[in-house]
Amino acid sequence: MSTLNVSNISDGTTTVGTSYVVNGSAKAWVNFNGTGTIATRDSFNVASLTDNGTGNYTVNFSNAFGTGDYSFLVSCKQNATSTGPFISTETFSTTSANIRTRNVNQTDVDCEIVSASNLGDLA
Amino acid sequence: MTQHLWERLLEAKSRLEPVQSKYRVLFEDPATPDEPAKVLVPDPNWMACALEGGILPPIETYQRDRDVPDGEPKEHPYTEPIGAMTEEEAIEYLVMKDIDPAVWRDYKGNRTIMKIVPVEMIPSDRSFRNAWRIMQ
Repeated sequence: MSTLNVSNISDGTTTVGTSYVVNGSAKAWVNFNGTGTIATRDSFNVASLTDNGTGNYTVNFSNAFGTGDYSFLVSCKQNATSTGPFISTETFSTTSANIRTRNVNQTDVDCEIVSASNLGDLA
Repeated sequence: MTQHLWERLLEAKSRLEPVQSKYRVLFEDPATPDEPAKVLVPDPNWMACALEGGILPPIETYQRDRDVPDGEPKEHPYTEPIGAMTEEEAIEYLVMKDIDPAVWRDYKGNRTIMKIVPVEMIPSDRSFRNAWRIMQ
């Protein structure tokens, strides 16, 4: 793989520093089925998922993050019977992040599709 | 100089077809016996890297990095990658990487708290997901 060492990228009109591009890129992301036998649909920098129970998933990274202070963005497509869902993340570590999906009554519910992405500094 | 792991993953993603593993790892956490059994699902892109070789670092580097405080330099992204694994070896690697050693190394009890099973053995009906236990 060849490397392009440049400080800025320009389209002729607008110029942006490559540090914005590097720092603004998701360092890990995943899209997976949260119902049935959970399965990854597509991903990057993810080694595995852990299905911890109803509406409770953990994303395990291949390349760890430098600290647990990254930004973890999650969204999900609700299944037909759930009200909500509401998403929370309970534990962040450099190697994994936990996702909980709940309905309006604060009961854990599975989501049809869950997607998550991480922005931050890698180890 | 060894290419950073993230760059190796990036390059692998552009050329390798994902591989859906035929295995899952069922496990229970001895520290939380009231919680349901958990299921570890290998990532298809990660599995493709494991089978290809020359991308993933030695498992020992992840194990040593567990003791490195946040913010301190980690070893695993910068270490020379290992060669190709079989799917079975890849699952064992993943167990050691993503499951707490309290489950796969330190547990001394009589219950079976971890099993590697074919994916067909995992129920697809999740109606009673929080009641799942590993059959003894």
